[in-house]
Amino acid sequence: MLLRRPRVLSGTHFMLGNFAAVEGALAAGCNFFAGYPITPANEVSERMAERMPEVGGKFLQGEDELCSIYALAGAALAGAKVLTATASAGFDYMAEGIEYAISDEIPMVIMDVQRTRGENFATQADVMQMRWGAAGDHELIVLAPSSVQELFDFTIRAFNLAEKYRNPVIVMSETTIALMRERLVIPPADQIKIINRKMTQAQPGDYVPFRAEMGCVPDMAPLGKGYNTLYSINPHNEFGSIKWEPEIFERQYERITQKILMNLDDIVTTDEYQTEDAELILIAYGSETRPCKDAVDVARGQGKKVGLLKLNTVWPVPEKQILAAARKANKILAVEMNMGKYAGEIERVAGCHAEVKRVTKNLGAIHTSGEIVAAIEESLR
Amino acid sequence: MITNPMREALKPNSLPHFFCPGCGAAQVLNFFVRAMDELQIPMSSILGIGGVGCTARIPVYLKLDAMHGIHGRTLPWATGIKLMQPDLKVVIFAGDGDAAAIGGNHLIQAARRNLDVTMIVVNNLNYGMTGGQVAPTTYSTLRTTTTPYGNPEPAFDLVKLVEAAGATFVSRWSTNRPHQSVRAIKKAIQHKGFSFVEIVSQCTTGFGRKAINSASPTKLLDWIKDRSLTISEAEKLSDEDLAGKFVLGDFVDKQAPVFAGSSFLPPEEDE
Amino acid sequence: MIAERQAIQFCGFGGQGVILAALIFGSTAVTKQGYHAVQTQSFGSETRGGECQAELILSKEPIFSPTADKVDILVAMSDLAFSRYVGRLKSGGILIMDPDMVTRPSRNDLKIYEIKANHIGKELGFALSSNMVFLGALHRFCGILSDQQLFDGIRENVAERYAEVNIKAAQAGIDTMSGLLK
Repeated sequence: MLLRRPRVLSGTHFMLGNFAAVEGALAAGCNFFAGYPITPANEVSERMAERMPEVGGKFLQGEDELCSIYALAGAALAGAKVLTATASAGFDYMAEGIEYAISDEIPMVIMDVQRTRGENFATQADVMQMRWGAAGDHELIVLAPSSVQELFDFTIRAFNLAEKYRNPVIVMSETTIALMRERLVIPPADQIKIINRKMTQAQPGDYVPFRAEMGCVPDMAPLGKGYNTLYSINPHNEFGSIKWEPEIFERQYERITQKILMNLDDIVTTDEYQTEDAELILIAYGSETRPCKDAVDVARGQGKKVGLLKLNTVWPVPEKQILAAARKANKILAVEMNMGKYAGEIERVAGCHAEVKRVTKNLGAIHTSGEIVAAIEESLR
Repeated sequence: MITNPMREALKPNSLPHFFCPGCGAAQVLNFFVRAMDELQIPMSSILGIGGVGCTARIPVYLKLDAMHGIHGRTLPWATGIKLMQPDLKVVIFAGDGDAAAIGGNHLIQAARRNLDVTMIVVNNLNYGMTGGQVAPTTYSTLRTTTTPYGNPEPAFDLVKLVEAAGATFVSRWSTNRPHQSVRAIKKAIQHKGFSFVEIVSQCTTGFGRKAINSASPTKLLDWIKDRSLTISEAEKLSDEDLAGKFVLGDFVDKQAPVFAGSSFLPPEEDE
Repeated sequence: MIAERQAIQFCGFGGQGVILAALIFGSTAVTKQGYHAVQTQSFGSETRGGECQAELILSKEPIFSPTADKVDILVAMSDLAFSRYVGRLKSGGILIMDPDMVTRPSRNDLKIYEIKANHIGKELGFALSSNMVFLGALHRFCGILSDQQLFDGIRENVAERYAEVNIKAAQAGIDTMSGLLK
């Protein structure tokens, strides 16, 4: 006999990362999930199949990733808070659906559990793919959790940002944390901050679906109630009508990117560890911040002034924080689990103020703290 | 000035439309508006979906909420909407390429699940909007811009395809048969479950010029008419004789449980 | 009682319940004793029969690096997996092994506890409970949980109909380790 569990499982758990992501989504109010089987994201689907009926939501196993991502768009316009989970190769298929959601300002959360090509080893090789997978000029928000707790916390944040900015938000997961069990503390439901999309107060006829001030987000309208909104990926004016004039291209691309870029202080977050007096700062994101933290402790133990800047938001790039780190320290180590991708962004921002070195590894496993300590020693020699 | 009362069904700023003179998709737009009017269903109470292609433009002109512009993914959109808003009527307008090629897997899966939507497929036997390329519905030996020496592939029979996959209402008519087409669309809209109406249609610009050496709408309509027969006429013919013919009629009309999601609590747990 | 921070590795072949043992120990330490814990795992592409390992780090403080360079304790349930992972056991480390399943290593820098887990499981009429025998022995060695906490942890993580036999197996593991520690 099954016990019907509540939406928010408040308490202390020892939980798999993929499960924690599901619990975060549910705590944020997610009531629609669609996904297609792919390792190492399967536990997200499997737990959603159990949990969605428990909380009165809908679970769909699509016939492929395309079905899943477009079902998300449909369900989101029908009022749902929606999630899909996939892994690297599956994300390839979803890119166009994300482009559509950007174009028509449809809130959705995509969880991408990065894996190595064709196998399920640990990697961060898709940090660029998530940002640039979709065609056309756009801005995306990508969050990078580093632990089971952050998979829970950041998934809630992803929903809040998606709803607030009417934009897809990607939770950049990894094999390392998704298949890890760890302590997870779920707070009481009333302590979890939830943001829901703004629905229009305008009457049908007065409603202009895509009209908003620069940097702002238009209100949404329900379906089938006379608002007669066209959600087309084609160039459309603020009434939603397909038009071809250059001003429409300009307006459309400007506003859907500026609503993100003009609100960076609200969207971008980082954590700093031992950076106050640091002469060398490690910059990392996701699981790689963990051995970095241990390496900082080891280096500090040796009397070296080393700190860590942990990027919780990887896109948009935390330029202000990276720049501040570069001005403070004269050496930056860009640590990541790939052949060196995000390091290019760090070099772009920090390059004029500090020497940036890449510490990279794409061998199917996270850096050990020893490897990072060695890189620090080499850099300070 | 007298305006057509059916103009009420169209969005005020959406005209002029982009259909070529003599296009069958524009006729199907008319059929649909008439069907809705006869059923007295307010246009803006439903949701229209179009993917990419000429047919996909139909809901763009209608006074309703609509999704448009992604090739082949009409049914996944509809699946998400129907799971959250099961009472919202959803009508999909798709060309044969959108429905049967790029969206082919979604078509058979939606039919299998008995997704409660109406899908109107305007089958003009080619990719009209992109310049008349071969489609999975172009039957053997016909010339198109990408089969300049005649199509070597066999064609899908969409009616048989969706029937085998589990569709609960299946009908095929042509733009030659406006009354029957309107009637079939009305039945499909009223049907609970996956209702599929194929309307064989003339594409003057893309198809006619290559396949029958004529861009004349009337010649194309005659060409379709000459190849059309009823279900009872077709029963007397062999499969070979039926190749390149259009069998018209209502093929399936039955009831089955409609799709409501992939996971449910066991009955004793369900409220 | 063990030190504040311990890295424990469980290895065997798929189907022996290697990961379940690690999961129950970690889960109980976290939910009933306020520990921090990180458990990672890997298994062969054939889930049953292939080599399988689970690593569990327990600490009173937050844990950053999710895997340890060397482990403090190795629980070895099969020979093949053991030969692969014995090198990760630190000098002076603890090896808990089944002498019927694993060849005693030539390393002489280890403290070795032999637990005939397979044999004990079979005697209890449930050969698949050998992982719980190991779990009981490990728990007795570590001394961070009460017996009752461990049994509650088992009950929360196995199917109801197997709870009692698994708890019995864990008790047998506790008794065997108690004998060895005397």
